[in-house]
Amino acid sequence: MAGLSDVQGTATDSPTTTPKVVVDGVDKVYESERQRVEALSDVNFSVSEGEFVCLVGPSGCGKTTLFRTIAGLEAPTGGEIRLDGEAVTGPGTDRGMVFQEYGLFPWRTVRDNVAFGLEEQGVEEPDRTRRVDEMLDLVGLGGFADAYPKELSGGMKQRVGIARALAVDPEILLADEPFGSVDAQTRDMLHEELLRIWAETGKTVLFVTHDVEEAVKLSDRVVVMAADPGRVREVVDVDIERPRERTDPAFGEYVGRIRELIGE
Amino acid sequence: MSLETGSASPRTTAETGTTGVTTTDADTSDSEPSTGTGSLSDLDAVGLAYGAVGSAVFLAVWQAAAMAVGRTYLLPSPVEVATAFVVELTAPTTFTVPFVGASIPATRLIANLLQSLLHYIPGLVVGSILGISLGIAMGWSGRLDDALTPVTRFLRPIPPLAWIVFAIVWIGIGHGGAAFIVGIGAFWINFYNAYAGVEGVSTHLREVASTLGVDDDLTMIRKVILPAATPSIATGVRTSIGQCWMIVVAAELFGAPGVGFQIINAAQNLSTDVSVAYMAVISLVFLVSDGAFRRVERRALAWRD
Repeated sequence: MAGLSDVQGTATDSPTTTPKVVVDGVDKVYESERQRVEALSDVNFSVSEGEFVCLVGPSGCGKTTLFRTIAGLEAPTGGEIRLDGEAVTGPGTDRGMVFQEYGLFPWRTVRDNVAFGLEEQGVEEPDRTRRVDEMLDLVGLGGFADAYPKELSGGMKQRVGIARALAVDPEILLADEPFGSVDAQTRDMLHEELLRIWAETGKTVLFVTHDVEEAVKLSDRVVVMAADPGRVREVVDVDIERPRERTDPAFGEYVGRIRELIGE
Repeated sequence: MSLETGSASPRTTAETGTTGVTTTDADTSDSEPSTGTGSLSDLDAVGLAYGAVGSAVFLAVWQAAAMAVGRTYLLPSPVEVATAFVVELTAPTTFTVPFVGASIPATRLIANLLQSLLHYIPGLVVGSILGISLGIAMGWSGRLDDALTPVTRFLRPIPPLAWIVFAIVWIGIGHGGAAFIVGIGAFWINFYNAYAGVEGVSTHLREVASTLGVDDDLTMIRKVILPAATPSIATGVRTSIGQCWMIVVAAELFGAPGVGFQIINAAQNLSTDVSVAYMAVISLVFLVSDGAFRRVERRALAWRD
């Protein structure tokens, strides 16, 4: 790993407007009798309203731990996460989550999966059905409303996952390697779709991946993490017009630079 | 599994050797709508023909052995059993409806079956509900699990029939006592399946639900744990439907009226053909109820992989 030690990306360096998400001095230590693992050490960065930010890093850099902490599924041992200025204390519908393993409820149809969060919010019919249809159209699954998850391909499952996460109209969309289990061709297609959905909904997106090209393809900024302990190495602004092509020399430069930071 | 060969064999007995007929029959009824939904549709014509041949050979060997033995009480032949079956099925008697007290006309076989069902069904239903409830509770709550696991571990290995002592001193040996024994059997089977089903629900799904706004235990149990555990719970119910018949027969050995009692009673009169006829009744009732349950299960759990 390169000997860089300059840790950038504090809560103050966000270029525009008020930060939507602030990761403020987050530490996460797992302690057992035999060992002490520092999964995250003083992680600082922020995400602006409407911004698309990717978290990349080698395995063991704590990016999934950070994702789970932002989701409220784990509590930080130090520091805090703030969403719209409020500290995150647990999971909630203000953060729409998309998981690598989809997490669809197998006993529910596509329609009922998307409706799950709406039911919890107390959205009544016919609004619920209208909202579900809207979401299914957004992800292009209108014709599969009554299918069960087992009947869908990986890419389709993840589109249901995205529709379900967005149905409750969260403040931000959090995704943990959402396309890690689909083939390359489907992944490219899903990238296009996600960017379209992002443009259409104006949501703030925080996207965890280990795939540097995916990060450069998608995001406004890339938070590059390092391992042992998990920390932010650098935050890279990706200044390329969309749609982005992998063949673009500038694209390659970004990929090369981030890979170097990661130490690949 | 056994259901297929079971449904094939009566047909073969009626038309011994005419396997061709059986095969065409299967083509139109069983194989055509096969859309890969379950074991029944996996049956092809050839498989069915083999089943028919196997059944025919079994019956032939049995008949030959019975003729060689030459004494009905030692080994009744299939023909004798079938005859006894028909006699029991048609011999008129009355059946007294408990609690109501009214007598309704019935045949011997039907009356005995109803007697058995009078403890089989309450035992199965009550035992299953209690077992499923405790299984879910212990699967969900770690504290309750810790508290009760020593007790359940200790009580589990005791065969249901061993409780006959208490069935007799508490309730008396009749429908109540037999239902009690059946209930204990149903309880454990359903307890362990429900427990395993709830324990096996992935934390991932629970986390997903919590990010979608589920923030209390009851909603989590109702909307995530129960549906996810349903296949395992259904397996428990289906297993107990079969196992409880064995317990019914065992319980009736102690004098509760019903099919099991008839098996013993007839044998004591050396009418083993009647005994075997009642053994066949249990088998048929099991096949019908198990088949019906599978059908419902397959439809209700169509979402399974």
